[in-house]
Amino acid sequence: MKRFLIACFLFVVMTNVYATPEQDRLALREFFTQRFPDLDLNEMINGLYAFDEGAREQWLEMEDFPPYEIAIEEGEEAFDTPFANGKAYADCFENGGIGIKQNYPRFDVDSGEIITLEWAINQCRTDNGEEPLPWRTGELAAISAYMAYTSRGNRMSVVIPDDPRALEAYESGKEYYYTRRGQLEFACENCHMQSAGNLLRADRLSGMLGQATHWPVYRSKWGETGTLHKRFMECNSQVRAKPYEAQSQIYRELEFFLSYMSNDMEMNGPASRR
Amino acid sequence: MKLNLSVLVFALLAALMLNTTVMAADDAEYKAALVKARETLSDAEGKVQLWSTSEILLNDAEEAATAGDFELAVKLATEAGIHGELAVATAEREKKTWQKHVPK
Repeated sequence: MKRFLIACFLFVVMTNVYATPEQDRLALREFFTQRFPDLDLNEMINGLYAFDEGAREQWLEMEDFPPYEIAIEEGEEAFDTPFANGKAYADCFENGGIGIKQNYPRFDVDSGEIITLEWAINQCRTDNGEEPLPWRTGELAAISAYMAYTSRGNRMSVVIPDDPRALEAYESGKEYYYTRRGQLEFACENCHMQSAGNLLRADRLSGMLGQATHWPVYRSKWGETGTLHKRFMECNSQVRAKPYEAQSQIYRELEFFLSYMSNDMEMNGPASRR
Repeated sequence: MKLNLSVLVFALLAALMLNTTVMAADDAEYKAALVKARETLSDAEGKVQLWSTSEILLNDAEEAATAGDFELAVKLATEAGIHGELAVATAEREKKTWQKHVPK
């Protein structure tokens, strides 16, 4: 009887403190179902436009001639241009790099690193004797935009392998997301869960679900197409926390967690936002 | 006249020495505030909780010190250290509470 009670106690503790990633994902979906009972959760891949009808109409009109189109074209051209050694990006990726963004970030069990798509693109370059590209905007963002475009309609499928390092990375990203930081003491969660759909000054806040499906993004505020890590840096700065470098370990862990939370949602990158 | 000149020279030398002593004390005080601030900020950084404001304050402090305004330099370096202390406090509190916000 005593053993049974101890086992029950441990079960309760373990299931409450150490939820599996899949339990986290399902609980998150339930959170948004409760929060927005009339909303089709799949709409959340469109960020704030899932909540704001007026802004959505403007956005849909903008999608007739989307501002990220130039990035897709430039990205395709760069993607198809061979390196000095005659090889190309297609040689570095499964399926020639077409329709694969939904599998990123992935945890590489050999190196123990989280490989984001941008990381893999630059890895491909250095493996072929080319200089790596700057992480946040420009050619790298354009190539990523093109690869995202070829993945449209696929479902986010981030895998956390059975490796304690992968789970640790996921948990680290999760902790970062839910931890208040900066002089303003805001966690990602404060804006994108508690206040999702609400106005922050003139901007409506997007929800956490679907936040990883549509990158890179052309932001009117930036006047160019940028990567998710550029946005992480901006978010951190806005709450007066010192941002980390794009593709730093902590941001890759954050992307790993955030992307897993959007698993099974439709890929719709690149996108445009205010 | 001879006596007056000696008094004047003595007074000037005394004033110069006093001034140098005060500047040295302020410079030392600034450096001490800087060391203390950097220690706290390093602690905050280790806890993944550095504020973006701290670096700005430290840069401004350095600028003030270079311009010889040690009073302002000490004030800014001390403030940077306080920002570090507050960031550490947030880190320690959040370490215990962040899990509560995860949907179950």
